[in-house]
Amino acid sequence: MSAAASSSQGGAEGGTHPPGEEDQGESSAYYECNICLDTAKDPVVSMCGHLFCWPCLHQWLETRPNRQMCPVCKAGIGKDKVVPIYGRGCTKSQDPREKLPPRPAGQRPEPENAGGVFPGFGFGDGGFHMSFGIGAFPFGMFASTFNLNDGRPGPPPPASPQHAEEQFLSKFFIWVAVLFIFWLLIA
Amino acid sequence: MANIAEARIKREFKEVVKSEEVAKCHIKVELVNDTFTELRGEIAGPPDTPYEGGNFILEIKIPDTYPFNPPKVKFVTKIWHPNISSVTGAICLDILKDQWAAAMTLRTVLLSLQALLAAAEPDDPQDAVVAKQYKENPKIFQDTAKHWTHIFAGDSKVAMITHMLELKQIKKIAISHHS
Ligand SMILES: [Zn+2]
Ligand SMILES: [Zn+2]
Repeated sequence: MSAAASSSQGGAEGGTHPPGEEDQGESSAYYECNICLDTAKDPVVSMCGHLFCWPCLHQWLETRPNRQMCPVCKAGIGKDKVVPIYGRGCTKSQDPREKLPPRPAGQRPEPENAGGVFPGFGFGDGGFHMSFGIGAFPFGMFASTFNLNDGRPGPPPPASPQHAEEQFLSKFFIWVAVLFIFWLLIA
Repeated sequence: MANIAEARIKREFKEVVKSEEVAKCHIKVELVNDTFTELRGEIAGPPDTPYEGGNFILEIKIPDTYPFNPPKVKFVTKIWHPNISSVTGAICLDILKDQWAAAMTLRTVLLSLQALLAAAEPDDPQDAVVAKQYKENPKIFQDTAKHWTHIFAGDSKVAMITHMLELKQIKKIAISHHS
């Protein structure tokens, strides 16, 4: 993604590319918007997996309000059914698009095995309390009971950053528990 | 012309020029003006069709709203086909109308037109007379389409023969004038 992010800065200068960019060959074509055929700026991806600049896709959707289909594969598509892609360092090259609605925000579904373990106690409060549930008690099985949102991604695979974070948090809470017991003993 | 339209046509132009269909002489695009608003396309008649051996010239006009709206394409070369007007060259093809999608390109348009020559859709005709003949007298349709290809689409052998016949005629006239 860094290729797309770095050249999107060049592309933001009025839509023209710096000389030489066109000769980068097929590798950069991978991150080209399917509408303007330039490296995607403010990239969004559709449910069918096709990449666009948000301004380009927005204009396409405006052109045919009653026939919202993917410009590539003609699958159903909509403003609320695209996911923005944030490459590294893409925040500083944001140019103001007064006329366009802002690119749809990314959704942040909770990981399945950590969602809603303690309703009313840290629900939706981020990973802190939920990880406590996993680290200290075998409450993971409640997740499916309380999880009202179907179609979420499964538990993170081992070695993913999310997995590593959970491991870290569970270790952290074991230490908290040890300190707590220690405090009980000396008090 | 809108910035995006021009930038895209420039890219597409390169794409078509580099494509393997061009290498095989199946399709071709040329610029008509510097502003990339008008182009001249060319497609070869597909093999095993009455259009085989012909080269069909197309007028391609790029609207300001391209690629959000389709290019305006029509046949310059006269052609006998149910979905193409034998008089104006206007084309009835869904992707040039409501089935257009912004990811389509000059290359896909030219290839679609070539496919249309290979597979007519007489139930969605542009030229009612041709479509009627296509359905009711397929043999006559084939012969007429072939004949039109030879006369208008520059089938080289036939063109040469007609050219030679014309030369003979001119000579005859010249000789008769001389004597
Ligand atoms: Zn784009
Ligand atoms: Zn798609």
